[in-house]
Amino acid sequence: MHVSTKKWLFTKISSLILIPLMFWFLMSFVSIYDKEFFEIIGFFSNQPSKILFSVFLVVAFFFSALTISEIFEDYLHDDRIKNVANKALYLFAILIPLLTILGIYTI
Amino acid sequence: MFNEKYETLVYKLFMQNKNPLSPHLQIYKWQISSLLSITHRIVGVINFFAITLICLWTLTLLLGQNNYQTIQIFLNTIFGKFAVISLCWTFSFHILNEIRHLIWDAGYGFDLKISKITGIIALVGSFVLTILFYFIGRNFF
Repeated sequence: MHVSTKKWLFTKISSLILIPLMFWFLMSFVSIYDKEFFEIIGFFSNQPSKILFSVFLVVAFFFSALTISEIFEDYLHDDRIKNVANKALYLFAILIPLLTILGIYTI
Repeated sequence: MFNEKYETLVYKLFMQNKNPLSPHLQIYKWQISSLLSITHRIVGVINFFAITLICLWTLTLLLGQNNYQTIQIFLNTIFGKFAVISLCWTFSFHILNEIRHLIWDAGYGFDLKISKITGIIALVGSFVLTILFYFIGRNFF
């Protein structure tokens, strides 16, 4: 399978998984964002919120990295700049969710 | 002789990446399809930064109750509520337009009229979904 076809398939599969997770996250976030510290801690330390939030982050960053790299492909014409931008994007998309997931599992 | 010179010139321009570009966004008349296409990209980038902020918000919980207070105060202000409602809209728009894209990928909805209708549904629906998300989340129903 061609690398672009793989990328397209991964984007579509991740978007399909992401849609119900976005529904769940947004409704949960709206219900807790202004609550007291311990109520928010309670939300993140209980299941299924913990696992759902972790999956949401992994899929959201995976999907975002794939789609933003497409934007780089369209608007960055210098190959070296594009390469650096893509590497920085992928590193960011791995580190941020990883740190957050480790964070909520230590709460 | 002319062809050779012309080909050399074209090759040089190509190598310098100075070949003329096709007309871009500002040239074409705005239509629902172009409006939604560029908005989808912009909203996607905004959501990427929004999710990053949500990660940072989650990580501030590790700093303890006293340090979290500043964020809690901000989220309870009118600006905090505006940020949350804006997030509801960007997520809603992205969900609906992504569903529209998935329907296209399945091979449906390419007809010009249907494409316009689904575009309007995605745009208007995003505002309706924003209200629903907020009201359901706040237990208003």
